[in-house]
Amino acid sequence: MKGRYDDENLKWIPVLILAIFLFPFILKGATSSYKYYLYVLNIAGIYMILTIGLDLLSGFTGLMSLGHAAFLAIGAYSSAILVDQVGIPFELSIFISPVIAGLFGLVIGFPALRIEGMYLGLTTMGFGFIVKRLIIALREWTGGSAGMPVSKATIFGFTINNDWDNYFMIYSFVIISVIIARRIVISKLGRAFMAIRDSEQAAQASGINLAKYKMLSFFISGLFAGFAGVLFAHTSHFISTDHFDILLSIYFIVMVLIGGAGSIYGAVLGTLFIVLMENLFIPLFKDGLAKYIHLEAGDFQAFIFGFIMLLFIIFQPLGLYGMWLKIRIYWKLFPFNPRRRST
Amino acid sequence: MKRYVSIIIMAALAWIRCENRVTSPGVTDTEILIGNIQDLSGPIKELGFLIPSGTNMYLDYINAQGGVHGRQIKMLIEDHGYNPQKAVVAAKKLIEKDQVFALYNVIGTSTTEAIRPILEESGVPLVAPATMSGTMSDLSRKAGHLIFHTDAGYDVQSNVLVDYILEQNANAKIGVVYQDDDYGANVLKGIAEAEERHGITIQREAYQRGATDFVGQTGNLMKGGITDVIIGGIVREPVTIMKTSQAMKYSPHFFGHAPTVDARVGLLAGDAGEGFTSCYFAYLPDSDKSGPALYRELCEKNNVPEKMRGIYHYYGFATAHILVEGLRRAEEYPTREGLINGLETLNNWESGTYPPITFNKNDHAGVEKIMLLQIQGGKQVAITGWLE
Amino acid sequence: MNDVLTGLLQESVSGIALGCIYALIAFGFTLIYRATEVVNFAQGELMMVGAYVNFFFVTQFSGVLGGVNFWVYLFAFAGSIIFAILFGILLDYIINRPLKDEPVFSVIMATISLAIILRSLTAIIAGPISLVPASPFGDNTFNIGSVVISILDISIIIWTIVLMAIFYFFFNKTRWGIAMKATSTDPEAAQLMGIPIKQVYRFVWIFAALVGVIGGVLLAPRMALLDTNISYLGLKAFPAAILGGFGSIPGAVVGGIILGIIETISMGTLSFHFEWVKEINDIIVWIVLIVVLMIRPNGLFGIAKVKRV
Repeated sequence: MKGRYDDENLKWIPVLILAIFLFPFILKGATSSYKYYLYVLNIAGIYMILTIGLDLLSGFTGLMSLGHAAFLAIGAYSSAILVDQVGIPFELSIFISPVIAGLFGLVIGFPALRIEGMYLGLTTMGFGFIVKRLIIALREWTGGSAGMPVSKATIFGFTINNDWDNYFMIYSFVIISVIIARRIVISKLGRAFMAIRDSEQAAQASGINLAKYKMLSFFISGLFAGFAGVLFAHTSHFISTDHFDILLSIYFIVMVLIGGAGSIYGAVLGTLFIVLMENLFIPLFKDGLAKYIHLEAGDFQAFIFGFIMLLFIIFQPLGLYGMWLKIRIYWKLFPFNPRRRST
Repeated sequence: MKRYVSIIIMAALAWIRCENRVTSPGVTDTEILIGNIQDLSGPIKELGFLIPSGTNMYLDYINAQGGVHGRQIKMLIEDHGYNPQKAVVAAKKLIEKDQVFALYNVIGTSTTEAIRPILEESGVPLVAPATMSGTMSDLSRKAGHLIFHTDAGYDVQSNVLVDYILEQNANAKIGVVYQDDDYGANVLKGIAEAEERHGITIQREAYQRGATDFVGQTGNLMKGGITDVIIGGIVREPVTIMKTSQAMKYSPHFFGHAPTVDARVGLLAGDAGEGFTSCYFAYLPDSDKSGPALYRELCEKNNVPEKMRGIYHYYGFATAHILVEGLRRAEEYPTREGLINGLETLNNWESGTYPPITFNKNDHAGVEKIMLLQIQGGKQVAITGWLE
Repeated sequence: MNDVLTGLLQESVSGIALGCIYALIAFGFTLIYRATEVVNFAQGELMMVGAYVNFFFVTQFSGVLGGVNFWVYLFAFAGSIIFAILFGILLDYIINRPLKDEPVFSVIMATISLAIILRSLTAIIAGPISLVPASPFGDNTFNIGSVVISILDISIIIWTIVLMAIFYFFFNKTRWGIAMKATSTDPEAAQLMGIPIKQVYRFVWIFAALVGVIGGVLLAPRMALLDTNISYLGLKAFPAAILGGFGSIPGAVVGGIILGIIETISMGTLSFHFEWVKEINDIIVWIVLIVVLMIRPNGLFGIAKVKRV
């Protein structure tokens, strides 16, 4: 009998995991400002966990969400409150807080049973605003719009102190998330999700309970995002409603789509690409350019970012993962590639 | 294929390594690096442009005189777009990559709060954060001993304004219009304190950041019979509220927090803005103190365009005095501790731009007094001395 | 009681004017969505560009004609409209043409990046300092009973009505309008019937740019200061488009006006009488939206599409 992963090339996975954990050591050896690079990678890692969940929802189930920053906020705030005010240990909070975010996922999943497409996208956007408001209104616990400081994470007596520790914690969880998400995708659940995405009517006709699976999709996606939120709160040590902007939600969907919706690796790649580009490459590029010409940094950076994104979409509409697949096919067929029609 | 990739990566890493390292971060024999994080692409990018250019004007002036201890001061500016997350990235970049000596003038409340953990971790001082939140000078908070706050907090301003209003008219009914975010939260903190001290209730009206319509709020103030309105806005809000009130034939006294000092309030509001009273914690750019005089002289010399001159440009100029004085009082070969200790020796120090400033181990709040300015005949006139 | 009524009326007038701006943006969403099923995230930015372009023309023409007068505004308005048409054609070439066979998601992404580009490019060109837009009507107001109405608000309302009437006529009575309707119902069938859908799509983008720019021209004098952040009004107009039902012209107008009124009334009378309303001021429109969608999943005027497997 054929195993689950038989049709895939798995031998690179351990190498990749090893590379992920060795990378900080290389970075530290190479540059004294490694903490900055690690920090950017840490953000990418946290967002990866979220976008993997978002990909399950939007890429696999076909349910648009423009409010995922809200789930991040719920996870972050619940963990901050649970750990710092209620006194629950962090090890427990990483299980409870995502569940809270997941339950909110069910709340927003409920309208999703009736509302479709772009209507749903904008309902979730509204959900994002409502959650932000709710956090401000609960100012006794959350500190309102002034934000709140969060303690450091402690796992089994080991305190996660700095970017170095954060990196290992975050990327361990990223790897776990990728594995879980890939298992979900190839399970019965994942196939049901994809059936719903491809055609709701056909899925229903094949005996898939639409309500159940849509709610489940929102729940799982909320779990991932809430989990990312927990990591976010305890690694940045300060959270405020300004963090969880509507623009962040839009960026999340951009990350998923630029990676290529409907592939877990795509979400990871897309997140890495956007976060690195915004926080690392463009600022460094600007620094390099600033030696020669005087320019106002802010809008110039945004312009470059938008411009690269637009070019990317026009020339690679299938995303990074699609690009990777094309390259792979190209190498496999080499030198017998079908010639491109010159129209 | 893989071998080539790894060679390229190694080469790239080796290149990064070639950057020259400095033993004392940000300080060479000829230069001191200062990091500044401004909003260059977000909701207050106008300030992000004006404030650093005012600062640079003063730093250029100091550098032309030979700098501090023979070192030129150089300021690097990063953008955070009023997003705390990006502020943290920018702070990391400035501290780890660019190796700045100190941070200076980071703008925004939540953004400055967000970089506290980094300051704590790296021990980098932050001089004169460009936010008037009273929480900045709270020494019990994380990295409190590293932050030197110069501005009078919004809460202090609210208190003084309420005191002044009640002094003028003991029967005044006061209303406040606040922005529904961290700015407004700090405004309301002061309002609540004042309510408790005087045993009065103050009518609160909220608006959202970027709101254009104030008919509802103005109508409510009118219905509440409010005689004195405090506007916790920036420029658009006081102008629109005063114009709306004029149209609705409602004429209370209007007061505003420090961001409303901008000269454009008077210009745009026209005769509706007559009598508008705002508060400020530094000498105005057109007063005859030594700081403002130097400001006008430098503006003339550098041909600063008329539309750039004003309260925000001047603010950058004024806070730079504190930074430079701190660097002067740090040792000959400055360390970060030296800067902190140097700033803590300021005792009723006259900068020429601010009223006397005192910092010490137990007090990192600079100016705690404000002055009220009223628009009379389209010009801002000081109507009080320093109020506490 | 009378007091409350006056307050409500006052707020409604202001809310309708604000709602008309929302309606214009929502109408831009609607046009593009109906034809291509793409949600144009750059619609707010189109409006911002319109406001800036109009400001540019006003300053230029007032230099030429010597002082700001009625003709300056008229010429500036005409200039902005010509700009909008050219801009729409440009957008068609940049966004629509290269991505015509790609999934809808890609085009949405393209509009998101277009939004970022427009916002930053405008700021780079115009400089970081806010502009002071001039109003052709000054601060003039008139009274009906005790309700104060500004002439600017009335002009916004009239312009919106005129525009909507023109578009309504265009879509229902002219050949091109009917061609557009046909294309949005079924592009393939329309193409088979000999409708040049490429031109139809170009028209759609031109119209979207046109309503965006006109919205900007109308809105700018209502703001005391003009900066690039007014583009975020586009996000606020989303619920208007959704509430009316994406793809319906009367829906966009009604949705916009309802939202405008809800917004001003909740800020005003409601929060005066009920303290807790202050907490939900900025989300009340979203709450209304979600409630409406729960009852009518396709908005007030939307028509459910029949799906086949």
